[in-house]
Amino acid sequence: MMMDDLKLTALPEKEVPISHHRFEPYVDNGGTVLAVAGSNYCIVAGDTRMSDGGYGIQTRHYTKVFKLTDKCVIATSGMQADTIALRKRLDTQLRQYERDHGKSMSTPAIAQFLSNTLYHKRFFPFYTFNLVAGVDEDGIGCVWTYDAVGSHERVRFSSQGSGNQLIQPLLDNQVGKFNQQIVDGPRELSAEQALSLVKDAITSAGERDIYTGDFADIVTIDQKGVHFEKFDLKLD
Amino acid sequence: MENLNRGGFTFDLCKRNDLIEKTGLKMKGFLKTGTTIVGVVYKDGVVLGADTRATEGPIVADKNCEKIHYIADNIYCCGAGTAADTENTTNLISSKLKLHQLATGKQPRVITALTMLKQMLFKYQGHVSAALILGGVDVIGGVVTPSLFTIHPHGSTDQLPYVTMGSGSLAAMAIFEAFYKKDMTKLEAMTLVADAIKSGIFNDLGSGSNVDVTVISQEGVEIHRGYEKPNERKYRSNPYNFKKGTAPVLSTSTLEPLGSRIIIEDVTMEG
Amino acid sequence: MFLTRSEYDRGVNTFSPEGRLFQVEYALEAIKLGSTSIGIQCEEGVVLVVEKRLTSTLLEPSSIQKVVEIDYHLICAMSGLTADSRTIIDHARIETQNHRFNYDEPMGIESTVQSICDLALRFGENRKDGEERMSRPFGVALLIAGVDERGPQLYHSDPSGTFTQYHAKAIGAGSEGAQTTLQEKYSKTLSLQETIQLALTTLKQVMEEAVTTTNVELAVISKKEKKYKIYNKEELEAVIATLGQ
Repeated sequence: MMMDDLKLTALPEKEVPISHHRFEPYVDNGGTVLAVAGSNYCIVAGDTRMSDGGYGIQTRHYTKVFKLTDKCVIATSGMQADTIALRKRLDTQLRQYERDHGKSMSTPAIAQFLSNTLYHKRFFPFYTFNLVAGVDEDGIGCVWTYDAVGSHERVRFSSQGSGNQLIQPLLDNQVGKFNQQIVDGPRELSAEQALSLVKDAITSAGERDIYTGDFADIVTIDQKGVHFEKFDLKLD
Repeated sequence: MENLNRGGFTFDLCKRNDLIEKTGLKMKGFLKTGTTIVGVVYKDGVVLGADTRATEGPIVADKNCEKIHYIADNIYCCGAGTAADTENTTNLISSKLKLHQLATGKQPRVITALTMLKQMLFKYQGHVSAALILGGVDVIGGVVTPSLFTIHPHGSTDQLPYVTMGSGSLAAMAIFEAFYKKDMTKLEAMTLVADAIKSGIFNDLGSGSNVDVTVISQEGVEIHRGYEKPNERKYRSNPYNFKKGTAPVLSTSTLEPLGSRIIIEDVTMEG
Repeated sequence: MFLTRSEYDRGVNTFSPEGRLFQVEYALEAIKLGSTSIGIQCEEGVVLVVEKRLTSTLLEPSSIQKVVEIDYHLICAMSGLTADSRTIIDHARIETQNHRFNYDEPMGIESTVQSICDLALRFGENRKDGEERMSRPFGVALLIAGVDERGPQLYHSDPSGTFTQYHAKAIGAGSEGAQTTLQEKYSKTLSLQETIQLALTTLKQVMEEAVTTTNVELAVISKKEKKYKIYNKEELEAVIATLGQ
């Protein structure tokens, strides 16, 4: 056998397109928030895990629930940087309002104002998914749920974030009592029942959603004010 | 005739694939599932470890799955990657090795399993997404040799005294690099493996739940399923009960018991 | 008072050596030339009454409007150069609507008055390119009446940009006499009906002509309704009838 009979085909050179590094302004830092309102209370929960958008944890102690007034909190999931920017904006505007009008902004007013703030950035939105929760001027519990560009709705309960799809059906069933012909006991949950449900819901989300875990802030809002409580979740 | 004498590789299909990709068709990406698997060699054998989380994207699909697979009585294999690929690959090689054992009448060797695995994975050019840790002991002429390997999805292998793989491999390796020492006792090795797995469980979102440990030595195999359970549920509310009649009855129909419609006859054979 | 005229009465942003802004003081004088407006606040609401000067029988009374809406819960009456009030009212209307848009709630009464006074003070400012320059202070005073969560309120604002809250206040030509009457007759326990009557009788006293349905305007905001009501001819007729002689 002659050596030149052995012919090898060369590996073709792959045409590598010139990669233009695209600007990626968003990252999803994960996390779950939920809120349940009753006639004289509102209970909000948010886990404190912040991930890098992949399999990494950046911190186990990032609080997603933020007190705006003595009657109102905002709970935000999505991108942490945008959350902080949004909070900062709200907070300064809230202080401004307080000075201009000699009173703190009511929860319904905050709800409307947040919508405007989000829609203001319609074409470069804040990557945030919000709940505004608290009590209104009459002490009635209330929750507003938002999309990233300000569409909002007043509801009795809602959830947002990476565990939303796991929690919302539970709330629909246990708080909304949807599709149930007979309902055992009173239609509205007591504050204690709601607290227990909220804790169970966030724990369950932590079981099945990898972006939810570590700890949770459980926040109770009523006529007396805003009360924060720490709650343990799984660390895995 | 010239074509028949050709040797080496042909990459004609690469050209074709590039062309297809240019038309806009995307090749399917890998579905990588998170895992932490580790192995360490100790004085008398090998300890393998794994977490028990299986994921589908961000959702935990199984909170307590098994990732340490049986290959032979003296060989076990941890799998990371696509669950179907790791299970089928290890099963297939386990079967082939059993046939090999029956044909030769000898206990299979770890190196044999390694060769079969890497040849299979190389054949599939990385499309079988299995990242494996193969561990076992060979007893040849009374000499006990523990061995430990990693096998990457494309078929390359390494032999090392301590190894980690999967999305939690860096977290686990950090523990090994800090605390590994030569000729550990069994308990030392098991504790080290459990610590490495826990590092993956807590620091890698792809890994979670419990620690499984398998010890292989001349004495045999110890399987510690749930060697540690550091992630038990911390809160549970009162059970959710629904009164009978909560769900509406849309329609009812009664089926007759099947028995009443069966006719039993005696058939007599004729003549 | 103004006998010591000097070059200091020219510029709107120049103080006299005695520390006075003559242009602002002249503007305050302009108000005293205007028709009388009276506002009274009571527990149940706020009342505004205004005299309309019908200088000719050929004048169409409905073409003069001296009580105007700012928002549902907020109205104002004016005395002085009423044309100047257009600018102020437009500004206040925009402010209250912006507030509703931003916060889904009616704007506070004091906040609105504050914003009106901010505008009134802008006569001294050097404007940037493209912005209109305000040549002089406004020559009009306002009585602003409204109801918010703090209850019924009455405010008075003048060309100096000062605002003050009153239980009862009269402005315009007959203000001195009317204010004396209010001082005597006002009581915090007045009902809304009594307040309306007090307002109208006080106005009647300082008017040269008899009170008719065409030469006065009457508006009320009750605490209960939180919405203003300007009395029409028939309703006004009924109220005037109760006044007696």
